Formats: sequence, C-alpha cells, structure tokens
Amino acid sequence: MLLDIDPPIVNASGILSFLDIFQLLDRKGATIGGYVTKSISPGERLGNENPVVVECGAEEYPTLNSLALPSQTPEEWLEELKQTHLKRSKLIVSVNGVSPDGVSRIIKMVEPYADGFELNMSCPNLVPGEESVMAIVGRHPEAASRVVRSARRATGKPVIAKLSPDTRYVEIGQACLAAGADYLGCGNTMPGMFIHSRGPVLAGQSGGVSGPALKPVNLKMVYDIYAELRCPIVAYGGIMTWEDAVEYFLAGARVVGLGTFFAHRSTSDIVRDTAAIWKGIQDYLNGEPLESVVGAAHRKSSMEMTRSH
Amino acid sequence: MHIHCKVTENRGEGGRNRTLFLDRRFEVQPGQFVMAWVPGESEKPFSLSYENGITAKDLGWYSAKLLDLKPGDSIWLRGPYGTSFPVREGAVLLGGGVGIAALLILAKRTEDPVILLGGRTAEEIIFLEEFEKTGKVRVATEDGSLGAKGLITDLLPQEGRYYCVCGPDKMMAALKPLLPPEKSFFSLERYMKCAVGLCGQCTCNGYRVCTDGPVFDGITAQEMTDIGHRKRKKSGGWEYS
Ligand SMILES: Cc1cc2nc3c(=O)[nH]c(=O)nc-3n(C[C@H](O)[C@H](O)[C@H](O)COP(=O)(O)OP(=O)(O)OC[C@H]3O[C@@H](n4cnc5c(N)ncnc54)[C@H](O)[C@@H]3O)c2cc1C
Ligand SMILES: Cc1cc2nc3c(=O)[nH]c(=O)nc-3n(C[C@H](O)[C@H](O)[C@H](O)COP(=O)(O)O)c2cc1C
Repeated sequence: MLLDIDPPIVNASGILSFLDIFQLLDRKGATIGGYVTKSISPGERLGNENPVVVECGAEEYPTLNSLALPSQTPEEWLEELKQTHLKRSKLIVSVNGVSPDGVSRIIKMVEPYADGFELNMSCPNLVPGEESVMAIVGRHPEAASRVVRSARRATGKPVIAKLSPDTRYVEIGQACLAAGADYLGCGNTMPGMFIHSRGPVLAGQSGGVSGPALKPVNLKMVYDIYAELRCPIVAYGGIMTWEDAVEYFLAGARVVGLGTFFAHRSTSDIVRDTAAIWKGIQDYLNGEPLESVVGAAHRKSSMEMTRSH
Repeated sequence: MHIHCKVTENRGEGGRNRTLFLDRRFEVQPGQFVMAWVPGESEKPFSLSYENGITAKDLGWYSAKLLDLKPGDSIWLRGPYGTSFPVREGAVLLGGGVGIAALLILAKRTEDPVILLGGRTAEEIIFLEEFEKTGKVRVATEDGSLGAKGLITDLLPQEGRYYCVCGPDKMMAALKPLLPPEKSFFSLERYMKCAVGLCGQCTCNGYRVCTDGPVFDGITAQEMTDIGHRKRKKSGGWEYS
C-alpha cells in the first residue's frame, strides 16, 4: 500500500523529530505533506554526549552527526501521539529497526495514530561500546528481511525500509521488498569522521555525513535501486533546493525528504522555503503529473543508447 | 565550525558564578548564545556576557568542568547563534539568577535602561556595579539581603517602552502575565544538542529555542504553555517542573 503524501515532501527522521514541532509547522502551513518522527527505540536511550553535530567545511551546513538514536520510551511516545492532531499532513512513525520483536511491539502500540511506518535499519552511529543498527541489521539481507517481516505482520499500513548507502543496498533492498516493504528509503547518512584538537570530535568516534556532501552518493543509490528494482522510493540526502528534489525524482524517487535543509531555518523560514521548493517542482512539471518524471533519467539514457547503436 | 579560543582570565562574580574571558571577541547581538565545547567533557549553550566572555553558574558536572579552566587553557566555541533582544530607547531589563549575565551587553548598548534584578540572596545579583554604570538598577532578593525583600515581580509595575526578560523558567512564567505581550521579549533556556535547528531537542511548544529563539516576542511567549511547565530531557521525553 502506498502513502498518500501531498505534496510529496517529508522531513527526514531525526530532523525536527518531535510531534509538537510537527503540529506547529502544520498549523503555520509549512508545505510538507508528511512528517516523520525521530526513530523510536524499544526502551529509553540517551544517545551520545555533546557535541553530537558538527559543521565542517566552508558551508554553514552541519554535515556530521552522532546523536546515536536517543529515544524516549514507546509509552511516552504513545502519550504524545494521542494528543497530536495534524490538520493537513500525514504522520509516519520511524522505528529503530534493531530487533524484530522491538519493531512489532512498537508498531502494534502506536498503530492507530500513524499513517505509515519507516524502519530505520541504517543509522551508522553508535554509543561507544555498542554496534550501530546499520552494522547489526542494515548490512545483512536475512536480518533486514526478518525486521521487515515482523513489521509487515504488525500492520497493514505502508512500510518504508530505510537503507544505508554504505551497504550492498540493491541486495538488501530486494530482500526488504520480498519481505513486504512498500517503499525503500534511500538513504541514511554515510559514515564519516572529523578530527579536531588531535582526536575524533564526536563521542561515537565516527558519525553520519549529511547535507550537500551526501547528495551525489544517495542520488546514485536511488538511481541504482530504481534501475534494478523499479520500486517506490523515498529519497533523502542533501536536498537543499527544488533542483535537488527534481534530480531525485528523475533518478526514481516518488517522495523527497528534507533533513539538513532545516539547519539555521526558523519556523517562518521553513514555511516560506518549503513553499518555494514545491513551487519550483511544480513549475518544472509545468502541468505534467509527477509520475511522468519519476525515473525519467533511466528512460532518457536507454533512449540515447538505442539511438547510438 | 568550532572556533578555538584560549582562556585569558577566570574571574569570580560572587556566589557560584564565574566569568571566563577569551582571547577572541565575537560579533554578537545582545541575547545570542554560543555552544562551548570542552573536549572529552561536553558542549553546552551559554549566553555571551561580554563580546569576549561567558559567565556560568556552577550548577552541575559540566559547568563545574568549564569553570575549572585556567588562563591558557583551550576551549572551542561555535556561534553566536539565535535571535536577540531589540536595541531601542526606553528598555526595561528584567534578570534573574545567572540569566542576569545575558542582559549585560544589552544594558551597555541601550540608553539609560531601567534594570530590575532578582535572586535568592545578594550573592546571586551579579554585575551590579557594571549595571549601575549603564542605568537605573532596582534589586529584589528573597531573603532581603540586598534591595527589596521579595521577588522580581514585586518591582513591577515599571514604566518602559519595552521589556526584556532573562531568568529561570519559573520567573518567566510569573512575569508573562504582568508585562504587555506586544512590548516584551523573553529569552528561554532549554537543553540543546545541535543548536542549529535540526534535532528538535530544545523545543518549547513546537518552537526550536536555538533557532526560533532564544529570544521570543511576548505574543509568541503567551502561546507557550510549556514555559515554567516542562522541558525535554536528554532522551527527548518530558521533564515536568
Ligand atoms: C540559550 C541558553 C543560554 C544559556 N546561558 C547560560 C549562561 O549564560 N550561564 C549559565 O550558567 N548557563 C547558561 N545556560 C545553561 C547551561 O547551558 C547549562 O544548562 C548549565 O550550565 C547547567 O549545566 P551542567 O551540566 O553544569 O548541569 P546539569 O548537570 O545539567 O544540572 C545540574 C543541576 O542543575 C539543574 N539545572 C541544569 N540546568 C539548569 C538551568 N538552566 N536552570 C536551573 N537549573 C538547572 C539541573 O536540574 C540539576 O539539578 C544557557 C542555556 C541556554 C539554552
Ligand atoms: C541530526 C540528525 C539526526 C538524525 N536522526 C535520524 C534518525 O533518528 N533516524 C533515521 O532514520 N535517520 C536519522 N538521520 C538521517 C536523516 O534522516 C537523513 O537520512 C540524512 O540526514 C540525509 O538527509 P540530509 O542530507 O537531507 O540531511 C539523522 C540525521 C541528522 C543530521
């Protein structure tokens, strides 16, 4: 089953994160068709000690994070979900996909309040001493398909399996689709590092690269997955302008997610700038339906190939 | 991007407050904050009390580590971030606790401000002499050891063109109904992680304090039922006061 997200723009999980923020943006009229929560873990997690985000490079965009999935308990989330009402937009609950049992317990608990689910099997960050969910689940087709199957049994609502660009993602994606995922999320951050004052800055040593540096990496991920699997895709990675969004649609995405985009933007900036992104996309479409451009980059290259032969 | 600074002086301010002076001046609007990182410990938000200084109260493990830094020690800052207080004529400044520090630059940049300061005891009324050089100061302490005996709210009403408030959440909640919303500004404090508007940790009624704030206009503050009521703790769950 597919999500009815209109406009096809969401926030990336872990960015904006909380229901009171979504409710404010929804009320103020941000052009965001769906809100994705912070990934919910089976129990309370504090994540890493600060600093958890660093801005590196000349651009003012934070490009490395190592929050390592802090989470309030599913019970606390449930209380907040019960009190949240979005007027215009859909709500997607992101679930830490670290274990099949945890995933099914969380989904069953919050099911009535969600329009869909995203399974985070791809966060590369860790608290010192533990393994990342990417390492435990996201790199292994069998483990990933067990998590998706468990989600599929718990809900009839749309399920997005969010993958890492730092894996054999076509193979993992195929396993997730076979296990019942409706979408592939492409993708999470790419592992990276930042050294300062003679040591790694982030408590987890390495972190996840996001923002403009990630865009070409995840764009290729979307392109490769669409080429091989022709499935519905939610794209994330360095989308800062409508042109970036259009590139992802052409590569094969149906929905685009904004993450690092939100850095240094106030609530009123978000209302103005998300409207501008959607307007840019609509002007590009020039009256054509979105479907006409989804994956169009593949059609073009095959056409050119026939011509040159 | 973190900016490397060296501590040039670590000065006691009375009570458990100290100021770290740095070898670098920041271009700062009054009320803005920096994230101060001590490698191996943590990174937390502090208002600039001087263009080249931050003032902290020894409240817990991190502020204790921070205030332990000696002249010559390194510290890394990023910022200044966030919104600021307007600089106009006829300002009334209201400060409580270590929040008083966040008003010092504002007092110096406005003409003849009226400054109302509140604290539990005389020790908590920091920068008194510096404030007295900039404008008219009135003080209230809970134990009566300095100024009037009572709370900062007892110093109201006070004539002014606009009001700028920085203090503990409870003080903010008490002052909110006593000040004209269209003419007041409140600087809020929440636990922060990214400090640039991404992670959502510092939300107050859906506004991100790091990017929509820390200074909010009174009309927005009126909507904020979380002030004096709850904050998100490190896990993201609510902590009620
Ligand atoms: C925009 C902004 C500006 C700030 N400016 C300053 C500043 O100029 N000077 C300054 O000293 N601090 C300032 N803070 C607060 C500062 O970031 C830390 O929260 C504070 O130093 C406590 O950290 P800690 O780790 O030492 O204490 P913790 O270990 O976190 O706490 C120790 C004890 O103090 C209590 N506590 C923690 N924080 C507060 C608080 N803010 N108010 C009341 N009780 C608290 C805790 O509940 C606990 O009981 C600011 C915060 C923000 C968001
Ligand atoms: C601060 C931060 C926190 C994040 N938290 C999560 C998370 O909880 N779950 C998740 O699936 N992805 C998380 N991500 C990854 C984003 O959802 C997104 O996939 C990635 O940042 C790429 O998009 P961007 O370049 O637009 O930021 C986080 C990213 C950042 C920067």
